[in-house]
Amino acid sequence: MSMMHASGVKDAMTATAVPPTASLMRWVIAATLPGIATMSYFFGLGVISNVLLAAAFGIALEAAVLRLRKRPIRVTLNDSSALLTGVLLGTSLPPASPWWLVGVGMIAAIVVAKQLYGGLGHNPFNPAMVGYALLLVSFPTYMTLWAPPQEMLPNDLWAQITGTLPTAQLDSLSGATPLDAFKHKGDAVLASEFWAANPLPNGTLTAWRWVALAWLVGGVVLLAKRIISWHIPIAMLGSLVLLDTLFYLSDPSHFASPLFHLLTGATLFGAFFIATDPVSAATSQRGKLIYGAGIGALVIIIRTFGGYPDAVAFAVLLMNLCVPLLDIYSVPRPTGQQKASPGKPGEQP
Amino acid sequence: MSNAFDFPGGIYPPERKQRSNQSALIEAPLPRRVTLPLQQHSGQPAKPCVAQGNAVKVGSVIAKREGMVSSALHASISGTVSEVSTTQISIEGDGQDEWLRLPPLVWQNVEPHALLERLNESGIVGLGGAGFPTHIKARVVEQHTIHTLVINAAECEPYITADDLTLRHYANEVLEGAQIIAKLCGAQHIVIGIEDNKPEAIDALKQALTNSQPVPVELAVIATRYPSGGERQLIKKLLDLNVPSGGLPADVGVLCHNPGTLLAILHAVRDGQPLVSRVVTLTGEAITQPGNRWVRLGTSVRELLEQAGLNTPELHQVIQGGPMMGTPLLTLDTPVTKLTNCLIAATLEELPPPPAESPCIRCGECESVCPVALLPQQLHWYARAQDDAKLERYHLFDCIECGACSYVCPSHIPLVVDYREAKSRLRLQRIETAKAEHAKHRFEFRQARLAREEAEKQARKQARQAQQRRPSNTAATNSEKVDLRGLRIAHAAAKASVKKAEKTLARVAQEDPKQSLDDLEMQLATAQENLKAAELQLAQAREQQSNEESP
Repeated sequence: MSMMHASGVKDAMTATAVPPTASLMRWVIAATLPGIATMSYFFGLGVISNVLLAAAFGIALEAAVLRLRKRPIRVTLNDSSALLTGVLLGTSLPPASPWWLVGVGMIAAIVVAKQLYGGLGHNPFNPAMVGYALLLVSFPTYMTLWAPPQEMLPNDLWAQITGTLPTAQLDSLSGATPLDAFKHKGDAVLASEFWAANPLPNGTLTAWRWVALAWLVGGVVLLAKRIISWHIPIAMLGSLVLLDTLFYLSDPSHFASPLFHLLTGATLFGAFFIATDPVSAATSQRGKLIYGAGIGALVIIIRTFGGYPDAVAFAVLLMNLCVPLLDIYSVPRPTGQQKASPGKPGEQP
Repeated sequence: MSNAFDFPGGIYPPERKQRSNQSALIEAPLPRRVTLPLQQHSGQPAKPCVAQGNAVKVGSVIAKREGMVSSALHASISGTVSEVSTTQISIEGDGQDEWLRLPPLVWQNVEPHALLERLNESGIVGLGGAGFPTHIKARVVEQHTIHTLVINAAECEPYITADDLTLRHYANEVLEGAQIIAKLCGAQHIVIGIEDNKPEAIDALKQALTNSQPVPVELAVIATRYPSGGERQLIKKLLDLNVPSGGLPADVGVLCHNPGTLLAILHAVRDGQPLVSRVVTLTGEAITQPGNRWVRLGTSVRELLEQAGLNTPELHQVIQGGPMMGTPLLTLDTPVTKLTNCLIAATLEELPPPPAESPCIRCGECESVCPVALLPQQLHWYARAQDDAKLERYHLFDCIECGACSYVCPSHIPLVVDYREAKSRLRLQRIETAKAEHAKHRFEFRQARLAREEAEKQARKQARQAQQRRPSNTAATNSEKVDLRGLRIAHAAAKASVKKAEKTLARVAQEDPKQSLDDLEMQLATAQENLKAAELQLAQAREQQSNEESP
């Protein structure tokens, strides 16, 4: 029986001590701040309104369900996991999404994907991505309203959030994201021609790149603090770059470059903040590598051949599906055992 | 070379060894009264052989070995036996400290069986914590070839400094004890594995190693990392050998001993001194005079800590053993046993209870520190769900209960507690399923006992007849042709089955010290009864034959 615990001893070598679950969640939230700040800088305060709304929905919904499930509310809320789900979904939505959109997404995330499965630690799917995917397939009009870079306080911010903006005006907000634009360039247009035509509103590509780099900063912080292990992000980015390099080299005139895929869309955000959700990821180190690599490959495949411009949410959810299988087939070989895989049923250990 | 190989995982908890390794090893005051539990070793409890009121000296045998895997117990002070119960023997001291020693042996000159017998009668068990009877462990050569003896001086758990201080004071003696074991097991090579946080002990060993050693000794200083002192982990690290799952170090030709045990072995052989005292680390923030003491077995923990300046109001808990694998004591009125290597009188601040448990988030940190490369969080899952088939498939019984996973768990889940519960449940189940077998073995034992008694009766009858010197021709006509060859074969078979039963028992006892041995001990007893009966019959037949040949 272990009487010593990493979080209980003050003289422990801190480099090896993992913070307790609650502060783990808070560290991830803290690490999203550079990304959120950068996004707000380029896309306006609508980003922050998303995050605040989603976080508030997250806490309220979690408390409500815990009450129905007759579980301790305060202790559980204290682990900050609902808050984190809110922050992650909030940052994924187009800036200044209407409140009801955020609410529906959070119901799917917290009530369905998380609590109905048993709460923290029991959800097979990444809650934020369940919410996102549901919104994406149900409300495509709103989910593709990604405004081009704009000033901090857009004119219609309040009307957008309250959902009172006339539908006719919605289209005027829309601006294609780089991924979107490239996807719909049409087969006849060569990549070089596409870029030469300067297809995006001013500063769009730069804004996305800066945002991606801000997520990378947050991710590096998480890695350095040992909040996440390197396995999933490195495997995901590695397989993404590798696969896309193959495509790109085979036909540079039709496929986007690996750098484009790395620095646009949700690639880096997904690699460090979404795919690394430990609950819905594979657990063994080998499993994590396969899991991450799977996500990277799926992102490229869906982005290139699928119907959606970005693919992190679907890729993560699809790999979540594979986790039970990965957990069975990626068991490490225990010291002294002949085989890596678990023994056969009935076999003496 | 010592760092060339490595075991997976591991953690770096605070060492906190300075508190107890600053002062020299001294004798604790002689206790006025000792309480000696009959079970201070793995296997069967010892059987008392003294009665209330008997006078005993230090070293008098007070309880004998019962069954094969068991160990003798000796009085640790001189005085009078005040209580003999089913679980313990108490002795009221006379303050004289009179000794009863066995004759000294010169180990270089005596036969191995005499050395083994000395270990047996001295009640030596592994002092590192498992308490496995040393004479059984030494008999491993009967089935295995041993090439290397490993001296496990890693002492990787925080707080404990008993081996450190033992080596500082008795480096020569420990090495000599190792030579005795090397002689017994035929090892051609001795490796000392020691963590680099014990520079004084390392110096003492280097000093001692300048003397010539019959079997070459290598000093391997390894990096400090918990749990490098685990037998399998150390063997992997020093020799790059993997002890197979469910197997023993002997399976890869290695024997592992703790320095304290080797010192006790030397004392038993050279000085004829049975195991009546051991080195105990007294430490923790709640005592003012921490350090290491030679403590007589059976001394009360309370007495010992109070002599070390126990600050009772500050005391939160006393832990026997280390903070990672030890157990908190429920009461201080408990004796020091052969297994007590360390007593930590901890304050609340020093070892605070873990915060409330929260759900597992599958972060995998436990997996990255597991020295056996298990999947602790999967095991946790299955242990809570009581999914026994899955537990076995995920190798629950390979877990060494080192506590590294609990240490790092961000959700403060007491993983090892879960594993221990699951293991004992599975052990009980194994006994349940073997119940019919067990009944059969009991029946066989009874049959064997009756057969042996019958054979004895026959032997007595024959002896009487021989005394009466009956005319030989009547004897010859009465008995048919004696099947001497058949009896000899039966005798050899009986002998082999005793050996086989001993082998199985020794193996199972070492593989899983917590497994109940009743059934195996019974099978051994059956085989022994059969052997006795066969011996008697054979002797009888031989005599009869010789009578026939020389009428």
